[in-house]
Amino acid sequence: MTRYVMIADLRRCVGCQTCTASCKEANGTPPGVQWRRVLDIEAGTYPAVSRVFVPTGCQHCDDPPCMEVCPSTATDKRKDGLVTIDYEICIGCAACIVACPYEARYKVDAPDFAFGAEPTAAEARLFDSSRIGVATKCTFCIDRIDAGLAKGLVPGRDPEATPVCVQGCISGALRFGDRDDPESEASRLLAENKWFRMHEAEQTGPGFYYLWDKEDVPL
Amino acid sequence: MGVSGDNVAAKAVPTYCYNCVSGPDLLKVRVEDGVAVTIGPDHSATGVHPAHGRPCIKAYGLVQKTYNPHRVLTPMKRTNPKKGRNEDPGFMPISWDEALDIVAARLNDIRARGLLDEQGLPRVAATFGHGGTPAHYMGTLPAFLGAWGPIDYSFGSGQGVKCTHSEHLYGEFWHRAFTVCADTIATRFIISFGSNVEVTGGVCAVRRHADARLRGIKRVQVEPHMSPTAACSAEWVPIKPKTDAAFMLAMIHVLLHEAAREKLDGAFLRARTASPYLVGPDGWYLRDRESGKPLMWDQRKQAPVVFDALDAAPALEGEYVVTSAIGHGPDGERPEYVNVKGRTAFSETVEAMKDFTPEWAAEICDVPASVIRRVALEYLENACVGETVEINGRILPLRPVAVTLGKTVNNGWGAFECCWSRTMLATLVGALEVPGGTLGTAIRINKPHDNRLLSVIPGEDGFMANRFNPTDKENWVSRPTGRNAHRTLIPIVGNSAWSQALGPTHLAWLFLRETPPDWPKPTKPEVWFAFRTNPAISFWETASLSETMASMPFIVSFAYTQDETNHMADILLPDATDLESTQLTRLGGTKFVEQHWHHQGVALRQPAVEPLGEARDFTWISAELARRTGLIDSYTASLNRGATGFPLSGAHYDYRLQPDQVHDVDMVWDAVCKAATAELTEGRDVKDLAWFKENGWFVTPFKRVDWYLTPTMEDKGLRYELPYQERLLRTGKELARRLHEKNIRWWDVQLSEYTALPEWHDPPSHWIRSVEALGGKPEDYPFWAITTKSMPYTTGNNIGIPLMNESASNLRDHGAVTINVAAAERLGIGDGDLVEVRSPVGATVGRAALAQGCRPDTVVIPGQYAHWKTPVAKDFGFPSLNAIAPLSMVSLALTDATGSGADVVRVAVRKLETAGDAQ
Repeated sequence: MTRYVMIADLRRCVGCQTCTASCKEANGTPPGVQWRRVLDIEAGTYPAVSRVFVPTGCQHCDDPPCMEVCPSTATDKRKDGLVTIDYEICIGCAACIVACPYEARYKVDAPDFAFGAEPTAAEARLFDSSRIGVATKCTFCIDRIDAGLAKGLVPGRDPEATPVCVQGCISGALRFGDRDDPESEASRLLAENKWFRMHEAEQTGPGFYYLWDKEDVPL
Repeated sequence: MGVSGDNVAAKAVPTYCYNCVSGPDLLKVRVEDGVAVTIGPDHSATGVHPAHGRPCIKAYGLVQKTYNPHRVLTPMKRTNPKKGRNEDPGFMPISWDEALDIVAARLNDIRARGLLDEQGLPRVAATFGHGGTPAHYMGTLPAFLGAWGPIDYSFGSGQGVKCTHSEHLYGEFWHRAFTVCADTIATRFIISFGSNVEVTGGVCAVRRHADARLRGIKRVQVEPHMSPTAACSAEWVPIKPKTDAAFMLAMIHVLLHEAAREKLDGAFLRARTASPYLVGPDGWYLRDRESGKPLMWDQRKQAPVVFDALDAAPALEGEYVVTSAIGHGPDGERPEYVNVKGRTAFSETVEAMKDFTPEWAAEICDVPASVIRRVALEYLENACVGETVEINGRILPLRPVAVTLGKTVNNGWGAFECCWSRTMLATLVGALEVPGGTLGTAIRINKPHDNRLLSVIPGEDGFMANRFNPTDKENWVSRPTGRNAHRTLIPIVGNSAWSQALGPTHLAWLFLRETPPDWPKPTKPEVWFAFRTNPAISFWETASLSETMASMPFIVSFAYTQDETNHMADILLPDATDLESTQLTRLGGTKFVEQHWHHQGVALRQPAVEPLGEARDFTWISAELARRTGLIDSYTASLNRGATGFPLSGAHYDYRLQPDQVHDVDMVWDAVCKAATAELTEGRDVKDLAWFKENGWFVTPFKRVDWYLTPTMEDKGLRYELPYQERLLRTGKELARRLHEKNIRWWDVQLSEYTALPEWHDPPSHWIRSVEALGGKPEDYPFWAITTKSMPYTTGNNIGIPLMNESASNLRDHGAVTINVAAAERLGIGDGDLVEVRSPVGATVGRAALAQGCRPDTVVIPGQYAHWKTPVAKDFGFPSLNAIAPLSMVSLALTDATGSGADVVRVAVRKLETAGDAQ
């Protein structure tokens, strides 16, 4: 089996938002829609303070709450773990947006562009009218994965088949790959490091892992 | 809208982004049917580029930058002769011919009357933006500027007060380090005083530090607020602003007065520094009567010997009686000494550091003495004195400890002490310019700019040669040659091509408005060129600076969009921007801010798309300026000499251009591409422009041993000019005499900084006193206001790009005023409330961002905003420290001996109900 997962090494992330910008540009998302973003979180009381940068977005859950509430079956899950939205089927009810514990879903009801109502030449090429009035979210750059696989490339290893946020991450914090492939870097990183997943108690089975320390005894 | 399918003509065009000083970042532009659509990494650089061909966030803004509907896309001329913020310039589109004819007429008139005016000042001035980055976009303009003759570069856009100014000057003086960084791949412990490397260090630094963290490095970040760099550090030490020098002096105290002497690197101190030089009673080195060479005490002979005596065993410490010696005082004075006591420079240093205990520093820094002492001892323990490592077949010391300094620490009062202390912390354990230690990166005051090792040539007294501006009676430049008087006031800045622009650039703006006693008011430049710069936003007291700018008689602005500076312009010239034009630049080797590559080479910026509108390639513009001013011969000669950074002929090649012809853009850069690759390969592997358009970049190996200066110092038998600063002491005394002879006393406080060893001058007190000088009461301004940056906007010339603003908004402090939670509560301020930050100069308004990671006595205003003209940015409503920092005679008092100021202001903070409530 294949299970694609995203990995964010919190020791590496510097909160630069390069992933945010590269995602927005590559996916042509309108202002305010960030399929990939990095949270800036502070904990503690002065002077004992910590600040951490946490990349987030759709977690491509094993048991996606968004899929459960979707009345139209627009939200689906592939065998490789990717949670998808069929814009043709989505009725834009936004139930999934409410249900997602990761605040990963967006809906815009009218075209909007960086400089206002008119798209730039680049935005015009990326604009997808089927995304208006429906739920959208991070796709793990599904088109890149599928096109890469068709060429015999390996997602997470070959840049062309890898999500843009990962291939653009300057610190090497974001990684991607097949958790079930023991040869993948993703599975190696998960084996060698301590990790957590967000809102584990919700039992969603997120496909987004956060590394935070070396594993004491490598598995 | 929306185009996809098999009929799309798509290509990936390799190019570079050099929007900050850490460039060039390699990238590829996806172009579909002639439209630039997305930016992505250049993965072909994986394993060559330290960040594997990945550009930072700023590069992803270049597509929006290209298609920004607010671009100026045709030359324009001003129709309203009145200039000012509230005057509509009435810009009217004109042809390139008309625009260039207007500019050329002004220039030709100047050439006819003389390049210098009645004060001896250049009639033409030019200002370029941050850290030399515009040079990577201005094509062959340097050839035109070189052909023109004297130009005043002293009107800065923040240089000298917002860069790491003192590091530039002292760093280059001591170890050819225009900027300084850790040898991150090998170090184990870094103490960083406000160096925001995770934000401003560029992609190479970010990747290196991320790798180092996983390797187990410890970084202690000492700064008033918790930056992303502090967030990524093992420890954050919140220090009071501008007291960093006290912390570092106390660390040195611990090393010299509390730690065992054998923990230090005695061999390095004896052989590679002036530590054994004997200092006489007047503060001058005791010197041999015949040769004038400084003396050391030879422990074997129990007698003085000259510093380069063979087989000497110099004493590192102690006081010795020398029967006969001379000194080298100011103005050629030669005091003679008989049976004089001389103490080693090292012992002088030990004595000078005696009182700087951690307990003393604790009160000043508001940091517990135990923390300072622990950090000092951790530093010492990690220094591993005695360990070695083999690099490229050479055995070198391994000293895996480094000290780095950030902006504001590194400029203005206290910066000399910080720079000296940082360099001495490295020196005491032999960690200067060796693997794992504290390294310089590049040079700009010395030559050649692209190889700092070659700049190491023997000078006086066993040190590297350094060319200060003269201070002796015969050669001192008493009459300024530029409006900031850098050669007159700042000996250490020298007179290289970069020196004038290094500062003190705020004095150029200031002196146009008001001058100190016995200082003639400078003339205004008759023509001022501005490119990729917006001093009306990025300098200080921006409202009054804009008024000064409005008084400039003729301004030519190379314009991307209209902005606050070109609002005052007479002519706007639209240059083809990042993705539309051609240039070759160097990459690799050791460059600032933190790039240490195993390769060096060149990268091409090329038109991924056709220029929009009437925007023209800068090389075309430059050639036209040269042609219309009758300078085409000297312009081309300048190109042939290497104005693009690459001489077009050398030992193995000759691609010189015909001097009497106008060459088109591609012809010029084809020659440059060939010359650059011929230079890199000694003529063995020459690549032309067509090759670069396909492949983007070219490299050859760069040896790691050449990251370090110490091997070259060893090979040449030279010593670092540390710890004792006899040269600075003498220079200061001479400068004082020259100025006093001219009855100039307003620089006396700066003269006090010329000491042989640092003294405590209480840097914070300068800013508290400035409140009184501005007519305020210090108690009314209880907060320190400082600034910081975010990667999306770091020096990016990209304020009008919405993608940057949206991405940056994920950071808590973007466009806000960061205030400590408890301090805000006391003022009744909640998160997101509108607040006024007020100095005696004025007020700025923004939303409060409450944070635990900020000192209670400090507020932070990130970025440089408060735009009122630049499209997109003028709607932000963000606050700006620049609006409330003084630029007046008070800032003269806030200027240190290097001509540097700092982004620090004493302020009051209060909650507002509406923005209209601001005073």
